Amino acid sequence: MRHWIAALTFMIGCPSLAASPDLTEIVDGHVLSGYRLLSEESADLAEAAREDCQPSSEALRGAYHEAFDAWVSVSHLRFGPSEQDDRAFALAFWPDPRGSTPKALGTFLRDEDAVVARPEDFRTVSIAARGFYALEFLLYDAQFLDAENVEYRCQMIRAVTEDIASNAAAILEGWETGYAELMRSPGNQTYRSETEAAQQFFTALSTGLQFTSEARLGRPLGTYERPRPNRAEARRSERALRHVVLSLQGTRDLADKLSDGDAALLDAFDNAIARARNLDDPIFAGVSDPQTRFRVEVLQQNVDLIRRILSESLGPKLGVAAGFNSLDGD
Amino acid sequence: MSTRRSFIAGMLASGFFPLPTWAEAGSPVFLSAGLRPDGTYVLCGLGASGEITFELPLPARGHAAAAHPTLAQAVAFARRPGRFALVIDCVTGRELARLAAPAGRHFYGHGTFSADGDLLFTTENDYETARGIVGIWDARHRYKRLGEFSSGGIGPHDIRRVPGSDTLVVANGGIETHPETGRAKLNIPTMRPNLSYLSYSGTLQDSAEPPEEMHRNSIRHLSVRRDGLVAAACQWQGDLGDVPALLATHRPGEPLHFHASATDLERKMQGYVGSVAVSQDGEQIAITGPRGGLASVFDVAGRYTGFLDEPDICGTAALPDGFAFTTGKGFVLFDRPDAGRPVRQNLQWDNHLVAGAV
Repeated sequence: MRHWIAALTFMIGCPSLAASPDLTEIVDGHVLSGYRLLSEESADLAEAAREDCQPSSEALRGAYHEAFDAWVSVSHLRFGPSEQDDRAFALAFWPDPRGSTPKALGTFLRDEDAVVARPEDFRTVSIAARGFYALEFLLYDAQFLDAENVEYRCQMIRAVTEDIASNAAAILEGWETGYAELMRSPGNQTYRSETEAAQQFFTALSTGLQFTSEARLGRPLGTYERPRPNRAEARRSERALRHVVLSLQGTRDLADKLSDGDAALLDAFDNAIARARNLDDPIFAGVSDPQTRFRVEVLQQNVDLIRRILSESLGPKLGVAAGFNSLDGD
Repeated sequence: MSTRRSFIAGMLASGFFPLPTWAEAGSPVFLSAGLRPDGTYVLCGLGASGEITFELPLPARGHAAAAHPTLAQAVAFARRPGRFALVIDCVTGRELARLAAPAGRHFYGHGTFSADGDLLFTTENDYETARGIVGIWDARHRYKRLGEFSSGGIGPHDIRRVPGSDTLVVANGGIETHPETGRAKLNIPTMRPNLSYLSYSGTLQDSAEPPEEMHRNSIRHLSVRRDGLVAAACQWQGDLGDVPALLATHRPGEPLHFHASATDLERKMQGYVGSVAVSQDGEQIAITGPRGGLASVFDVAGRYTGFLDEPDICGTAALPDGFAFTTGKGFVLFDRPDAGRPVRQNLQWDNHLVAGAV
């Protein structure tokens, strides 16, 4: 027997869903198109590694960049098929504050562990040794470029690229064989209403931007007293700034579809993207120099402005609570 | 009321003059941090009807508070990753001491006193090595730091004393963060939360982890029944389409018992519980879900018995005959036979409502 009656009479009415975005357009035009590209580019990457597994191979490095681009563009879609079997984590294990990726790869190389020989075995290794960030070490880090056992390194590169291709294909398959329909036509166990499906996309959007601000920009920024340029994402292949641009473009597309073209929101995205493009500092080396550091800080502020508009404007329109406690996360 | 022992301790601490007790602070039943409309942060005492008994300024956003068991002293913790905690005399509003996190440490926002009030324990992050730490502070000597020990895991959050014992229980949330990356979670795929029982000197007496398939169920907040039954509230870091039970109960030596609602409550809460409280009669457990805008009550066997819809509800604490709740909209609500009118203050109540010492 509960006694809430008095409280209920004072209850503030729950906001009803004012905006109802076109879910089919988001699923088909944003999610599926993004994962199809990732799947194709990842298959090309595995093929390139089969043809030439030398880290210096231009074809291989080119395929690496293209597939990694495709991943970053969908890296905010962290729900459903990407989370099954930890597929997204196995594609992208970063940040890696304890340096688990180079440690795990170094151990393989030293022991010449036979686990890299068969894809079904490789799928069982630590996710730190899998995915794009592991591949970056194998293609760009001196520890692996200078490796003496070229044959084993070649096996590792092929194992990692095949694993990437199979994970990307599995995510796409998960979407194409059921998950897409759950979101296009809510009213099922996973998404009981259009509101829930729209809120899932909103969460992906805001979490993706938080990651860009706090990890992609925040890690190299460190503090004013102690900047951390060596923590920039994928700096060995000079992709750190590129990831910020790609992730902003990817989330902008979702924001556009989810907000029905909200001008203020898209302006904020365009400002941030333009600023990032003008930065001319691919690995955020400038964070150590007060003269250039502020430009990275301003970019981070631009991203945070987008986040604020999302939580204060788009969130409430989609029925997402923007409360003092609900936003706190503690 | 102060016991003779703490009375003497108080005299010693103050240089022969007795320190004020809770009665002189207007006998608050609860403590909560809040945000005023002018943008300033405060720590408040709340009476049994939800009235504000005192309101003292804080320099930044608070999180939880710890009430000294006898003296009218409250420790207000900065929100994670804060580096300060204020010890406030709740009668005069004077700052008695300021705890500064040692180099390389930050607070998580929770702390608890030893039964006699002589020691304060705080959860902290040794962030360069990602080790959870319990800091020890001397409440009798201006809260000087005495030492520290391992919390038994990564990301310790809530900490409680098991009643009638000198055992601490810590919710190691399992999530690695670093102040330079704000609140970004750095180790979700490998996180391993646990509940750890520790002596005052840091001896690990028992530890319990969620099962493998729930390793992303971050144990964050605790409430302990008089007999030592621990209620633990979780925040799910996995897929929101797949949220498991968010409430567990535990006794040392046993595994964690998770209690699912059977009504999809966990999904409605979006996998996120803000606070937990065991009722004073020990028969019921309340959990709050600010993201879902609802609170729910279970019996201690884990059977779900009811819920309350209320936007941004987060704080909860036990009353002699039920529960009190606070919300980010300023409401203080009651679930008890004579619930009365909800009270609304012109401020936003922060995460936790802490039962006072009187």
